[in-house]
Amino acid sequence: MRSVPASRLARNELAGGDAEPLLRVTGLTVRFGDFVALRDVSLDLYGRGIHAVIGPNGAGKSTLFNAISGFAKPEHGNVHFGNADVTGERADRLARLGLARSFQMCATFPDLSVADNVRTALLRDVTGIGLLRRRGGEKLDPAIEGLLEETGLSSERYRRAADLSYGRRRLLEIVTTLALRPKLLLLDEPMAGLAREDIPAVTRLIDKAAEDCAVLFVEHNLPVVERLAKRVTVLAGGSVLCEGSYREVASDPRVREAYIGDVGDV
Amino acid sequence: MFDLVLGYLIIGLVNGSFYALLSLGLALIFGLLNVLNMTHGALYMMGAFAAWAAVEKLGFGYLPAIGLASVGVGAAGIVIERCLLRHTYKLDPLYGFMLTFGLTTAIQGVFQVQFGSTGLPFAPPAWLAGGVDLGFMFFPTYRLWVVVVALAICLGLWLVIERTSAGATLRAASENAGIAEALGVRVPKVLTATFGIGAALAGLAGALAAPVYQVSPLMGSDILLVVFAIIVVGGMGSIGGTILASYCLAIIEALIQAFYPQAANIVIFAFMCVVLMVRPQGLFGISVVRRHEFRAARLPATREAGIAAMPVLTPVVVGAAIVAALALLPLFVYPIYLVKIFCFAIFAVSFNFLLGFAGIVSFGQAALFGTAAYITAQALKVWALPVELAMLAGIAAAIALGLIMGAFAIRRRGIYQAMITLAVAQMVYFAYVQAAFTHGEDGIHSVPRGILFGLIDLRDDRAVYALAAVALLAVFLGLRGLLSSRLGLLLVAIRDDERRALSLGHNVNALKVAAFAIASACAGLAGTLSAVAFQLATLSGAHWHLSGEAVLMALIGGIGTLTGPLVGAVVLVTMQQFLVPFGAWVLVIQGVVFALSVLLFRDGLVAWIGPALKRTRSWPTFRPSAAIQSGTRP
Repeated sequence: MRSVPASRLARNELAGGDAEPLLRVTGLTVRFGDFVALRDVSLDLYGRGIHAVIGPNGAGKSTLFNAISGFAKPEHGNVHFGNADVTGERADRLARLGLARSFQMCATFPDLSVADNVRTALLRDVTGIGLLRRRGGEKLDPAIEGLLEETGLSSERYRRAADLSYGRRRLLEIVTTLALRPKLLLLDEPMAGLAREDIPAVTRLIDKAAEDCAVLFVEHNLPVVERLAKRVTVLAGGSVLCEGSYREVASDPRVREAYIGDVGDV
Repeated sequence: MFDLVLGYLIIGLVNGSFYALLSLGLALIFGLLNVLNMTHGALYMMGAFAAWAAVEKLGFGYLPAIGLASVGVGAAGIVIERCLLRHTYKLDPLYGFMLTFGLTTAIQGVFQVQFGSTGLPFAPPAWLAGGVDLGFMFFPTYRLWVVVVALAICLGLWLVIERTSAGATLRAASENAGIAEALGVRVPKVLTATFGIGAALAGLAGALAAPVYQVSPLMGSDILLVVFAIIVVGGMGSIGGTILASYCLAIIEALIQAFYPQAANIVIFAFMCVVLMVRPQGLFGISVVRRHEFRAARLPATREAGIAAMPVLTPVVVGAAIVAALALLPLFVYPIYLVKIFCFAIFAVSFNFLLGFAGIVSFGQAALFGTAAYITAQALKVWALPVELAMLAGIAAAIALGLIMGAFAIRRRGIYQAMITLAVAQMVYFAYVQAAFTHGEDGIHSVPRGILFGLIDLRDDRAVYALAAVALLAVFLGLRGLLSSRLGLLLVAIRDDERRALSLGHNVNALKVAAFAIASACAGLAGTLSAVAFQLATLSGAHWHLSGEAVLMALIGGIGTLTGPLVGAVVLVTMQQFLVPFGAWVLVIQGVVFALSVLLFRDGLVAWIGPALKRTRSWPTFRPSAAIQSGTRP
């Protein structure tokens, strides 16, 4: 496998020291009408490494992601990213600040080619008259080219995204997100809907991405969580149940109870 | 003074009753069928005619006539739903909207052929004549009757929907038709019944309105757009909110009528704009609806990708052929007739570009066309500007208005966008009805054409033709360039998945407004050309029927294709030309063509001709045949 110097993928000013968290979520509460989807959730994330959020269905994982990435308005609490308070900031501004996300239902642009999909990420700073220039002029940088090569998307660059297999589209979505050169990558259930044989490729890509930026991901596939995540936060019923290494969390009886239910009660 | 206010209050209550009956049915139909029923105004009008015919022609009493009108119109609604509308459920909601749009045109046309456009008088029965003394005021009996009947029906229906098991079935089917069906609800029957009830309510409103207003074929045309605005204000999905909004807005409208009559027509639309800015989900709507929009309003998937850059060599040959054809055409065809086609084509492009390439639905393009026409005409005739400056002024005015319209339109998506753009355009229309410089119904006539750049004398029809041909070429080349630009890439990306574009750091709203401005420039160019070529600017240039024609042309030619609008314009203008001797039948035929196009030729003519002529894969086309059913309602 040809390796790409990972340091060129994304530059992370905050990496190394790890004294200040890259992302600090404090007391986040999100409400939909009468329903409290997220209650007083706090979370710290440092410059590098992979952090997983797990929890049973309806635990509030996606809501947490939406609140962090600007797709849901929190009622209380704060989100700090880098040195700035970004609570309630617009999603596109967050993306330009380096907080990038993927979606649970794989989000690519079906009518655009693979190369054009990636290009949409490179055009985020283009405004005004620059938008009227012909598309396709800008070269993909070597790091992204390398990622396309590695994921096997390179040979399919002129195909429509809609014609790719679901696994390929997932890879494309993550590569496109990485093309933003994010400091923090939020992945909402990257393994959801993937065929078993696609999982290793996506796992490798996430592992690789984490060499340069922090990764926060929601996942139901626990072996993948075990393999990738340094730290795991367990959400249940909209609140943080516990946090720790995978092993610590897995042996916590409260976690088992949340997943399986309180058998004594039934 | 006090009496005056009370008098207008009564007018407000009466109008509110009509609005409530109409908006209730419209909201029910929208909630369950996911169809924005444009025939609602026509059904209202049919109710009035049915009541009138039952009393005057068949000799029924007043009460049986009203009953007959409601039941008859309800039955007509059921026929429309079962035979026609049903076929659009699996498509994007826009097609249901277009189908009912066409049907409305046809129905109104039939009544115009039969009864002409002047109103027929219809007196209330003797037992409802006179007035009731309420002690503090005198209330005309008939109006009191209208308010009481409407309130009783609205509240009764509201109770049925909220409290009975039939109502629960209705609500379940509107919440999630798939699950309701799985639980044994016979959803198709529920849909038919809902449309029937909605139509019957509209018929009843029409029958009640007949003695208050005159009975005329166009009586439902303008009230429909007011009701759209009310629904946007009330918030779709809230029946109580819809009824409340109907009465409140009607009373506000009536009070404005008392103190500042010029603004009365637009006050409801203005209110809608304010509500959209402050609380986009409507006053009584819940914000969750907005989340549904993200997915539901997605347009059908497209087949061809915006991939390869355009081939460079062939255009030289093709371009030469096109220029030669444009140069030779006026030798065979009357130049002004061609100018009309080009104007309409450019106008249709403005709609088609927005929908097909940016995923924005605008049914208010006529306001932009009309604005440019008025400004250009005024500049030429009154300000005596040189023609090139007058045209620029017209286009600039259209762009300015387009930016405002776009700012409102992008607050919502899909079918809501259609309602908002229609309503904003209607506000502009009423502004032109009031404004002195437009000369109301007469319009601005005998506009001098002038001399272009001081060189080309436009009094020669051939010079005007050349100008229009250049404009058409510029629009098509410009659009082609745009679609292969970065902006084109991003617009397609936004159409495909707005959320994703946002998450990649794109200012989606700004890009959409930019698309709106480009489309406005096209509509403005068409309007300004028409003012110069036909030497007039009239109200019909700003009326929503003209917006409908843009949609029709795009649909005939092929939505989301580049050349479709031109093909559509050729068909429409030719059709109108040949049908001139048939008078009002033009509308009927046009409406039927519209409806048939939706049902049978959704892909448009270009989709038939196109593949035979060329196999380019150079830009994205919008293929309605690949329409996906959107799972949730917008």
